[in-house]
Order: sequence, then structure tokens, then C-alpha cells
Amino acid sequence: MYPLSRRALLKGAALGGAALAATPALLAAASRPARAADGPLALYNGQHRPPVEALIAAFTAATGIEVAVRHGSSAQLASQLMEEGAHSPADLFWSEESPSLFALAEKGLLAPLAAETLASVPAEYSAKDGTWIGATARCRVVVYNKADVDPATLPASVLDFASEAYADKVAFAPASGAFQQQIMAVMILKGRETALAWLKGLRQYGRVYNSDSAAVEAVESGDIPIALSNNYYWQALAREIGEADVQSAIHNIGHGDPGTLITVSGGGVLKSAKNAEAAQRFVGFMVSEEGQKAIVAAIAEYPLRPGVTSPFPLTPFGELDPAPVTPNQLGDAEAALALLREAELA
Amino acid sequence: MSDTFGELAEIAAAPRPRRVRRTRALPRAIVAAALIPIALIALPIVYVLIRSADAGWSGIVAELFRERTLMLFWNTSVLTFSVTGLALAIGGAAAWLTERSDLPGRGLWRVLFCLPLAMPAFVASFAWKSIGPSFQGLGGAILILSMESFPLVFLPLAAALRSMDPAPEEVSRSLGRGPRATFMKVVLPRALPAAGGGALLVAAHMLSEFGALSLLRVQTLTTAIFQQYELQFDNASAAVLSAMLMLFCLPVAFGEIYLRGAERRDKVGRSAVRSRREQRLGPWLWPALAFSALVCVLALGVPFGRLGYWLMRGVSAGRGIEAIGPALWGSLSLALPGTIVTTIVALPLVLLALRGGGRIARVAERLPYVVHGLPGLVVALALVYASIRLLPAVYQTRAVLFAAYAILFMPLAQSALRASAELVSPEMEDVARTLGRGALRAFVSVTLPALAPGLGAALALVALELMRELTATLILAPTGVATLATEVWSLTSDGAYAAAAPFAAALVLISGLPVYVFTLRTLDPGGRGRKGRPRKRRPRTG
Repeated sequence: MYPLSRRALLKGAALGGAALAATPALLAAASRPARAADGPLALYNGQHRPPVEALIAAFTAATGIEVAVRHGSSAQLASQLMEEGAHSPADLFWSEESPSLFALAEKGLLAPLAAETLASVPAEYSAKDGTWIGATARCRVVVYNKADVDPATLPASVLDFASEAYADKVAFAPASGAFQQQIMAVMILKGRETALAWLKGLRQYGRVYNSDSAAVEAVESGDIPIALSNNYYWQALAREIGEADVQSAIHNIGHGDPGTLITVSGGGVLKSAKNAEAAQRFVGFMVSEEGQKAIVAAIAEYPLRPGVTSPFPLTPFGELDPAPVTPNQLGDAEAALALLREAELA
Repeated sequence: MSDTFGELAEIAAAPRPRRVRRTRALPRAIVAAALIPIALIALPIVYVLIRSADAGWSGIVAELFRERTLMLFWNTSVLTFSVTGLALAIGGAAAWLTERSDLPGRGLWRVLFCLPLAMPAFVASFAWKSIGPSFQGLGGAILILSMESFPLVFLPLAAALRSMDPAPEEVSRSLGRGPRATFMKVVLPRALPAAGGGALLVAAHMLSEFGALSLLRVQTLTTAIFQQYELQFDNASAAVLSAMLMLFCLPVAFGEIYLRGAERRDKVGRSAVRSRREQRLGPWLWPALAFSALVCVLALGVPFGRLGYWLMRGVSAGRGIEAIGPALWGSLSLALPGTIVTTIVALPLVLLALRGGGRIARVAERLPYVVHGLPGLVVALALVYASIRLLPAVYQTRAVLFAAYAILFMPLAQSALRASAELVSPEMEDVARTLGRGALRAFVSVTLPALAPGLGAALALVALELMRELTATLILAPTGVATLATEVWSLTSDGAYAAAAPFAAALVLISGLPVYVFTLRTLDPGGRGRKGRPRKRRPRTG
């Protein structure tokens, strides 16, 4: 009764074509090139923001180079960099922990760093092949609530927390990268079986938190007496609340136990970087005296460059007596992931 | 009027009905345009299937029957059912009180009951959590999320109660049924589609919620997918969990269409709103007031109070405050174009569904609802995967982010547009064609204008969701672009509550605008006229 006229059909086809054509046009309009080759330095950042923002401000002031930052978790950004491969828009990567850098180096995605940059910090905290460098050290600690726990009664090893005596008393964050490094340290020092038994014990007796900072907050508010955490979460909390009012404290286990583990944050330059020279300068600035001062003023981590000191009340680095495990031994921490799965924690 | 035209058209069409149906089919342009949303929606589904296949059969089976997967499945179910049930109860009671009872100050309560929509769940969770640990865990999450999501039931239900033709109720009463029986037999069945639609929206939110649950330490399928992703980017076990989550979404997706089918029965008389008798509360007045006040304290008082508290104190206060301008601009510059793109992309699907283009079209139209329950993360990963491989030039540009927004929030636009498009009978278009218009012109001049009322609601609803969208934005936004939501997120996860508070407050304030538009549209579709005032009978087009 109403046969489709040719005109209507043509019109329809034209409109359909227009609609289809409009989408790429819309896409194109929205997709200004990510950046020109000489645009701002593109930094993928997995480290906490305050030190990064402080360093960028100092770097831009010193060199006039602008930096555009993409924030995320270190593991997530490292995986994203692997997915992006040679197409990556990133120039450099600042990781909260070494395993992410290690994994990128394994995939051959990182370029060698300048020799003078590498010479700024002790060699044991950087990649053996010189593709990434440690900028700051952090320490695994035990945070406890002062009202609930007498520090003298805390155990001699972090392994002891995975027992009935500590049922429902210990907070830990299996998804935290630093916790995975701690698993690696236990595995390296005590063997895989011990590490697995430790995780299973923690799963049975401990309480899972989504992050170290959540675990530390829970201790501070009296929700749970003890947390396994990085040191600086406590210092950040103490700064937010005020040193006088803080209800929790830090305990260092020491004597080479994996409960006291040094982990490092650091950086590397992508092989595919379009601003390779500026990226090298940025990493050099990270471990320069000025750069290190800017970083450690913003976060309670240990500067790795000799001669720089933190303004935070940290246990002196020399007194920590940490587990004898280096970032290079921790590797990419893949084995920790397998253990976490085996213990049904991930 | 439309009925007369409809009859005319039916008479005209009678001898060759099949033929007429075919000409009533959409202009081919629309069908072609529908391929865009379908292709977009297919992306995350295909991605999840490819990644799941990487795990292999034995891997999939092993993942599904882990103790941990069962725990996640249980938590997800408990959370989804409890929050949906509570939201139905609270939203239902609130709607009845404001629309059908003589509760004093109904106008004010109505506004208050809508306001929690402006409070993103993760901001509310941050506010509650900062009181103390007892609000963490599944119980706390159920309380907090119910309080923030009941308006999704309240709004459509209140609108339905309000626009309902009172005649059937009067008939029921005149035939001797009491008020309670009348409510159960006459009002409830007609209010059910609206309440059910809202409840399904709540359920979909619960399935994909991440920020709030992560802050409250609840592990669900969605938070586990995030954890897997934190551990390892391309992760077969995250894909298997995502596939499971999509199965969860299926009943939600098809439940909606079932309820919509039921809704048609009250189409006649939508415009005939006359005054109706209010139910006297009598001795129930004080309990009703106490209930309303309690809901407002829990849903508004506590979150806003805590936000104010954190605005006032904390050493981190003022830190990064200069970033609020760029973040505000980031939010607007992503959410507003994203809203328009999402709504435009949804349009052909709505039309496709309206003209019932066969089973394939019906399934295609439902697919966005299946994907709606997926976390933004999975959609973002699918787009990273696809854009790097197929279109590296658009990677990390706004275009990819807008595509993610469209994939995630198309159903909101679809539902809103559909609600108003359904009110136009296709026969109208036939009439236009008998009067000499071509298929496309008939469509453009008759059906398209009828979508206008739904458009406002669609835009407001999508804008509201985009403003608070977190996970897809984190992964896909151009490097250096921050939004209010991403700032709140990164500051609260660093424990800098006081620093996060101004960003959260700005986010809540700016969400107020779409909430206002949406509320107005829903509760007062004509934009004028009050209950009780006689209104002119008019076709519902504006």
C-alpha cells in the first residue's frame, strides 16, 4: 500500500550514511592528538600523589618542562604499559614499588638510565641492568593500637601473627603490592611451604582490608589492635590527626625478620618515549639532592641518596635491621600472586 | 484524538495488514544507525569472552568452584537483594506518604526524599566510614546503600501514583471495596511497573558498585574483579568473574522489559489527573513523621554533616584546593558531551525496540542492560584492548571515554526515552503517510517530537551518573585530566579526608542540578499544574 519510494530509500540511505559518517567525525573531533612529540612530559604515576606533585613542581620550576600525569596503582599502570607496548603515550613511569618496574624491564620496555643518575643511589636499590632506579625506601612495619597492645608483648617474627593467639587481631591487605613483596621475602628466607602456611593462617585468623591505609585507620580507630603495613601510612595518619592525639604507634620487628622489609619506589624511562631526553632529566632530578628533599618532605619515606634526611620522625635507616632481601631478589613478585591464589586470598 | 486516527488507520490497513506493518518499519537509516550502539555494546561482551577463553575450560571451572568465588557470589546476592528490598520498602512508604496520605509538609518531604540522588554512594560511604568502623562490612553497606538508592524507587513510584487515573479506584470503592482492598487490588498492580523499574535500577547499581563497597570493606564480584586487576592487568580470572556478573545482570535486563510490557495497561487516561481523596493518617501521623525524619537524617543528615565536619578540620584541609577549578572543569567537559553522545547513541535502539523489529532487534535492545551491571573497569579494559589494536590514534582521547560512557549508561537513556516514545501510537505515522508524507518525513514529523519529554529525563539521568563515574574515567581519561570524582577517590584512598571534602562537596552541589531537572520532569511532567487543580485535557507531548 505504501511501497517504499526510491526517493525515500535514497534519503534513508543518505541519512544512514550520514549517521555512520558522523560517528567517526564525532570521534575525530573529540580525539585531538594525545599530545605532540614535544608536548609535556607524559608520566604514568603509581606513587602517592603528594611527593609526585612536589617533585613535579620543583622540576618544572628548575627546567621549564611541563609534566602531564596519569595516576593509577603501580601494578595496573605497569600492565597498561605492557598492553600499550610500542604505542604507549607514556615517557616515563614512577612506580610505588619495584616489582612493577622489574616486570617492565623483563619485557624489554625500559631504556637504560644515564650512568650519573644511577650513581646517585646505592646500586643494590636499582636494576642490575640499569633500566630503573630506586628513589625512596619504605619499610614494612607493625602498627598497633597503644591502648590495646603492649609493644613488649609483640612477637619476634611476623610469622607468629598467623596463629590462634592473634585470632581477629591482625589486619592485612592482600591486594597491596607491598604485602606481596613481604610474601616474597618470607618465601625467599623461609621457603614456599612456610609462606603458604603463613598466608593460610592469616586468612584464618587475620582480617582482610582493601589497603594498608584502611588497615592502619582501623587500628587507629580501635577496630582492630594490629596491622601489617608500610611505615608512611601511619606517619600520614599521625600528621592528619595530630601527633598528640594519635592512638596508634609503629613497631619495628628488626633482626632480619621479614616483618621488617625494605621496599623501594622508583622510576624508569620507556624505550618508546617521545620525550626521552626530558624523561632522563626527570629521573635524574628524582635522585638529585633537590629532588630527594622535595620528595621526602611530602611523604615519610627514606631518601636513598646519601646525605639527604627526612623531616619526619622516622626510625633511623641504620637501626632498622631489615630482612636481608634486595629489590632485585623480589623480582616481579609473580610467585606471591600464585601463593595468594592458593591460599584463597585472591 | 489519537484513538480516532488509530481506528482510521486500522480500517485503512485492514485488507493487507502484513504489508502495513512492514512499511511502518523504521526508515533504514535508523536501522543502520542502530548498528553503532550494538557494536559498542558487543565490545565488552566479546572482550570478556575472549579473556575467559584464555583460561580454558578447566581454568573456568576451577575458578567458578573456588571457595572464594562462592563467598563472592553469596556477598553479591545478599547485598543486591537486601538493598533492593530495603529501597523498595523505604521508597514505597515514602511515595505513598507524599502522594496518598495527608502527611503535613508533603511538598518539602518530596524534595528531601529526592535529594539523596545527589549524593554519590562513595561519598556517602566515606562520610559514614569516617564516623567509625561499625559501619563497615556487609551490614553497614546495606544500610548506607539503601539510604542512598531508595530515591530510585521513590521517584518513579511517586510519579506513577500521581499520574494514575483515579477513576478505577473510585469505581472499586463504589462497588464496596474498602480503602485497603482497593489499594491492593487496584493501585498496587498499576504502581508495580514503576516500582519494579526503580528496583531493577537499584539492583543494577549494586551489581556494579565499587567505590562505596571498597571503602566499606565488602567483597563482591565487582570488587574482586578490581582486586584481580590491581594484581594483574589481563587476568583470566577477572574475566571469568565478569562473565558471572553478566549472568547476574540477565534477569535484571529482561525483568525490565517484562515490567514495561505490564505498564501499557494504564496508558489510557494518563492525562486525566483529577483530585483524589487523601488517606487520613490519624494515629499513624506521628510514626509517619518519625519515619520520614529518620530517613532524612540517615540519607542526608549524616553524610552532609560529616562532609561539613571534614570541611572544617584536618591538616590536609586546603591542600590542593587550587585543583578544584580544573577538576570541576574536567568533570563538566567529560560529563556534558558524554551525556549527549550517550543519549544520541541510545536513540536508534529505542526506536528499534518500539517498532519491534523481530527477535534479533529485541535482544539487541536488551544487551545494554546486560552490560549495565558490569563494572566500568571491565568496559574500560575492553576499550583499551580494542583501541590499541584497532584504532591506536584514538587511544587515551576523549572519544574512547565517551564510547565507554555510552556503553555503560545507554540503558538509562533508553528507559527514559522509551517511556515517552511509547505514548505515541505508530498508527499516527501511518496517518501521516496516508496524507502523503514519506516514511522518513512521517517519522521525523510525528514520532521524533514525541520523544522530547523523555529527552530531558534521559539527559539529566545520564549526566548525573557521568558526573560521578569513577573507574572508566580513571583508566581512559586523557593523561592529566582529573575530575571531581577522581580527585575525591585518590584523596580518600590516601586517607586525606579533609582534603577530599571540598571536592566531594562540589560534586554533590553540581549533581544537584541534574537531580532537580530529573525530579521536576518525573514528578511534574507537564512542568505546571498541581494535584487538585483541574487541568485541561491535552495530549501528552510536552
